[in-house]
Parts: sequence; structure tokens; C-alpha cells
Amino acid sequence: MLFSEILHLVRLNLIQNKFKVFLTSIGIIVGAATIVCVIAIGRGGKADVAEQFRNLNAGALDISYEQSESSGGAGFSFGGGSEGFPGGSERPSFSGGDFTPPSGGNMPDFSANMNSSSSSGKSGRSSGGSSRSGGSGFPDFGSMFGGMFGGSSDAKNTENITLSADDMDDITASVPGLSEATITYTTKQNIYGGNIEDTESYTIAGTLSNYAEISKLSLLIGDYISDADNENKNKVCVLGYNAAKQIFGSAEDAYDSLVYIDDRPYNVSGVLAEQGTVESGISADEAIFIPYATGIKYLTGSDISPTITVIAEDVDNISAVTENVKTVLAANYPNAEFTISDAGSKMEAANKSNETLTLMLVAMASIVFIIGGIGIMNVLFVSVKERTQEIGILKAIGGSRKDILLEFMMEACCISLIGGVIGVLVSFMVSPVLTSFNIRMEMSAAGAGIALAFSLVTGTVFGFYPAWKASKLVPVEALSGE
Amino acid sequence: MGTEQIISMKQVRKSYKMGSEKLNVLKGIDFEVNKGEFTAILGPSGSGKSTLMNIIGCMDTLDSGTYDLNGTPIHNTKERQLTKIRNKEIGFIFQNYHLIPTYTVMQNIIMPLLMRGKDRKTAEKECLETVEMLGLSKRLDHKPAELSGGQRQRVAIARALCSKPSLLLADEPTGALDQNSGIEVLRLFTKLHEMGNTIVMITHDMNVAGWAERTVRIVDGEMYQ
Repeated sequence: MLFSEILHLVRLNLIQNKFKVFLTSIGIIVGAATIVCVIAIGRGGKADVAEQFRNLNAGALDISYEQSESSGGAGFSFGGGSEGFPGGSERPSFSGGDFTPPSGGNMPDFSANMNSSSSSGKSGRSSGGSSRSGGSGFPDFGSMFGGMFGGSSDAKNTENITLSADDMDDITASVPGLSEATITYTTKQNIYGGNIEDTESYTIAGTLSNYAEISKLSLLIGDYISDADNENKNKVCVLGYNAAKQIFGSAEDAYDSLVYIDDRPYNVSGVLAEQGTVESGISADEAIFIPYATGIKYLTGSDISPTITVIAEDVDNISAVTENVKTVLAANYPNAEFTISDAGSKMEAANKSNETLTLMLVAMASIVFIIGGIGIMNVLFVSVKERTQEIGILKAIGGSRKDILLEFMMEACCISLIGGVIGVLVSFMVSPVLTSFNIRMEMSAAGAGIALAFSLVTGTVFGFYPAWKASKLVPVEALSGE
Repeated sequence: MGTEQIISMKQVRKSYKMGSEKLNVLKGIDFEVNKGEFTAILGPSGSGKSTLMNIIGCMDTLDSGTYDLNGTPIHNTKERQLTKIRNKEIGFIFQNYHLIPTYTVMQNIIMPLLMRGKDRKTAEKECLETVEMLGLSKRLDHKPAELSGGQRQRVAIARALCSKPSLLLADEPTGALDQNSGIEVLRLFTKLHEMGNTIVMITHDMNVAGWAERTVRIVDGEMYQ
């Protein structure tokens, strides 16, 4: 029998049983719609991750330090910041033999770090009364007694350590395979200027000139902070897109205007283009960027805990770079544990969790398909039973096993395909509803294609057995309706 | 007129298992039908006439003996080949018409030709003459359920004739019809016989068998010529 004629017969049968076809294909409709939505959600998630991490360089390593809460805490502790050895002058700090002098004669910001009087007068290296290796000659009482009296057996991170540009230089000098390095900090400050009548709190980010390039920030107008701004501690700033709009109304109005940060006027040297929301790092749209050294001088003092970011030349080499950075830091700060997070891992983790979610949803959709397929199989079995005589007639008048098999298979495939097409249409109708629940969906033709392919495969797989049973019917028995 | 044989059966035996017992339905049937003959096989219920019809129609196999249909040894032929033989050599006319209820009259009629690999248009063209002869021209788009019993049987006859088979095999063709419709069908059979068709009709009704050119009796699995 010609294939086109088989298809014609299939069409006749399906038209005769429209409602049954629709009911049979409901499982497939749901399955196909689910598949399209799952793929769209997966793609949306991926795009979200890419967008949220777009300011991150895959080879970037963020190095920061967090002082443990037990340090200088309640109880009798000889640890960092304790009253036992106050003042850097009494316990000088060495790093590889060089002593870091107080910075530029500036007064430290005591108010910024009231509990660490020991850090005063130092530019950043080790501060506080903690021990630093390098032959200070003083026993590390903090380490010795921390576990005994400090209420914690972990003697790490009890010191009040402040990373500095010197640490960054140490790392770049000692760790091979780095292409860039920068240091940043953020602080909250009250600002006014522009349309702001009263003061408002904004995130102020102290950065070097290379931060824009490393974080892939682009400027809408003006220039980013320059090396000269940093060296001269110029009071200039670059506004994030939203910050500029909120303070001045527009980027154009903001450019070359004055913003008062902590009551000091800063000239707006540039406005960033809109960056969007980010998962990690500084949220650039809402921030105000100032030269690193300017912020240290006028806003934070040297006790602010900055983050050093280094960029590995080769992303595949990131673990070796991490180990080398750890070694350099361990040599300088033996009792400290630094938080080193690499952007690639963050992105990978985010992508992995996204993939896991997608896989879960795909598994769910597959189950729906299997249920839909079983539905088709059931209906086809009933159909074979109902049409036993018809099969007998076809066989009696010369219908071959192949013809019968193909007719029933094609029926199953068509039911699935119809279900698939309806399912895809349903998914496109449902997607705006899901999007309104803040679920990001990226609908795609590929998703629709995969859903249709799944539908077809389901129909073929689950339709085969009933079709095969039909084709095996003995004509005499089938004719008598047995 | 030559004596070309369409059916040649020799010592055909067929038995079925009924539980643990073996039921001998056909007990060595010898039966011949020449080309152009109109033969009736007459027998009461349970005589084995339906089994004989299934074997003649290549829908069932025989246990022993030989059966040649238009020169083809059916007893040695596999199912796949039998399907083709059914399509090409035999036109079936059943007691209950056995039309496909979801298809129209025309779709039912052309089915054997479609099975043969012809396309719809060619098949419809080939069937037109038969359709007109049987007076079905105005009913082609109707579904079987919209026809009377006599009309349905005429559709079944048209389906059997369209493939131009060597043998028309009718199983109780008037069994489901009222007397007038039955007579109408039997007249049609006579006409088809006169046109040169070979007809084997199975019936339990002696009056119906009387319309045939030759009658053979089957009783308890044995044939009496």
C-alpha cells in the first residue's frame, strides 16, 4: 500500500475521532509544553547567570580577609586587638624584613575602628597586637592561649589584618602568571549634591584606574579614575548609571558636576553606562567610584578591609595561581586564613546549579511524556480491540502486516505530533504568565523542535506495541471479532 | 468452454483442539471448481462449511492434503504470500458485509486496489464501471450506516469485484437480508456468473443454493458432490 494512502487513511480515522484524539494527546500536550518551558527556563537561567557575572573575569581571584569574631572578644584572650600588647609601636610589624612606616603622616580614622587601637598609625600591613612571623621576638600569646582562654580552639584570623596595596604588590611580584591586579574597598557614606536635598547613603567604591577594565565597566560619558587621580588623591568620582540618574536626573547633567561625599566636594569625571544587576562584586549602577588613595585619605582611613583582585593569565591555571597566592600570604601572615574566591568557580557553580535545576525539570518533563505515552498506548490498545473486525477485513482483502503496522504506528505518531504542536502553542501562551512570576524564560525554536521530536519519539515508542499486536492478528479470528 | 480449474482440493483435513480433545472438522475433502462455475456449498450449522470457506479463502491453513488455487499450491504457501493471493485472486462477500464503518462507500470499494499499491485516483477510475453496474453511483459518499442491508451487500460485492479476482467467495450472502433484498443479491450473482465470474457460495439454505449452477453438500466434515 502506498505510504500516502496509509496517511490518508490515518487522516480519515483521526478526523472521525477528533475528541478521542484530543483526550489521548493531553499527556503529550502537557509533556511538550513542559519541555519547551523547561528549556526556556534553562536558557533564561543561563542568560541570567551570564548577565549577573558579566562583570567578572573568569580568571579573577578575589582575596579578602575577615577577622574572626572571637578576636578581642569576651573572655581573657591574648589574641589580636587585645589589651595585652597595644600599639604598633610596642610590637613593630615586619614583613620580609621591611617595616611599614605610618602612612604619610595622616591621622588614622580612629572612629572607623574603635576596637583596634593597636592598628593606629599603620598603613595597612599587620595591625593590632597579634603576632607576625618574621622574628618579632615576641611570643604569640594569642596563638598560645587563644584556645585555652579565648573560647575557641581556632587561632586563625584572630588578628586584625588589613590588606593593602603593598600586599597586592607582593603578590604580583611573587606569583607568576598574573596579568593584572587591583585593590578595592567599599564603604557607605552620606552624600548630597545635585537633586538631593538632604543627604543620602550611597556605596562608595575606592578603586584603582584599572578597575574599570578588569570589571568590564564601560563609560557613558567622561573618563574613569586615572593613575594621577589616585597618586594625587584627587577628589574626583565616577557615578554609576542609576546613581547619576538619582542624584542629577541624567548622566549628562551629572558629568562635571559636584557631589559632596562626607561633606567634601568631588568632581564627577565620568558616568558609567548601565551595567544591570550583578551577582558578585560591586553593583556598579548604584555605586560611586573614587580613587583608592583618596578614599583612604578622606573617608575610611587605612583600617578599611579591602579586596585584592588578581587576574590569572590562563584560566586553566587558576588553581596553581590560588596556591601561589596562598603561599605568599601565608609567608606574610602565618596565622591568617584569607578568603580567596575565584570568579570562574562562582560562575561554574552558578551554571552547575542552573544545569541541575534544568536537568530536574527535564526529568519531570520526561515523566510527563512517559505518562502521556502510556496514555497513547492504552488508547491504541483499546482502539485495536475496537477495530479488530476492521483489521480482519483489511487482512482478508489483502492488507499486509506492514500496512496494518504502519497505519497504527502513523496514527500514534500523528496523535503525538498533534499533541506536540498544541503543547508548543500552549507553552508560548503560558510563558508570559510564568514571566509575570519573575521566572526568566528564553523561548526558542530549538526548544519547540526538541519538544516535537520528543512527542514523535513517544508516539513511535508507545504506539509500536499496540500496532504490532494489531498487525499480528489472524484474519479469521479478527473477522469474527475475537 | 475449457475446463481450467480454479480450485482443486485433494484430501483436505482440518482439525481444532477443543480443550484436550481433537475435533476433526474437515475429513478429507475433495473439491474442484472450474473457471466460470457458480457453485454452492450447502451444509447445516457445524458441518464444517465455514472452515472450508476459510481454507478456500486462504485465511486458514490445512492440516493435510493439497489445495491449488488458480494453479498456486496454497498448502505450501506462507502467510505473507497468502495475503497477496487473497488480494489478487479472491473477492470476499461476507454475510455481515464487513464494510469499514468510518469509510465512505467509495473508500470501502477501492480498499483492495489500494492494498495492491494503487493510488486513490487510479483505483476510483477502475471501479467506476462496477459501481455503475451495481447502481451505487449516487451512494458513493455515504457511510455504510446510511445504507440499507441490500445496498451494503452491493457495496461488498462491488469491493469484491473491483479487484477483478479469479474467484468470488460468498459466505451466506443473503443471511442478513430480507427476502426481497436476498433475491436481488442472488439475481446479481446470476448476472455476475453470466459475465464469466467464478463464484463459490456457502449457504445453509437450500433455496439459496438453488440459484447456483452446481451444489455440493457438506455434512459432518465430509463432502458429497
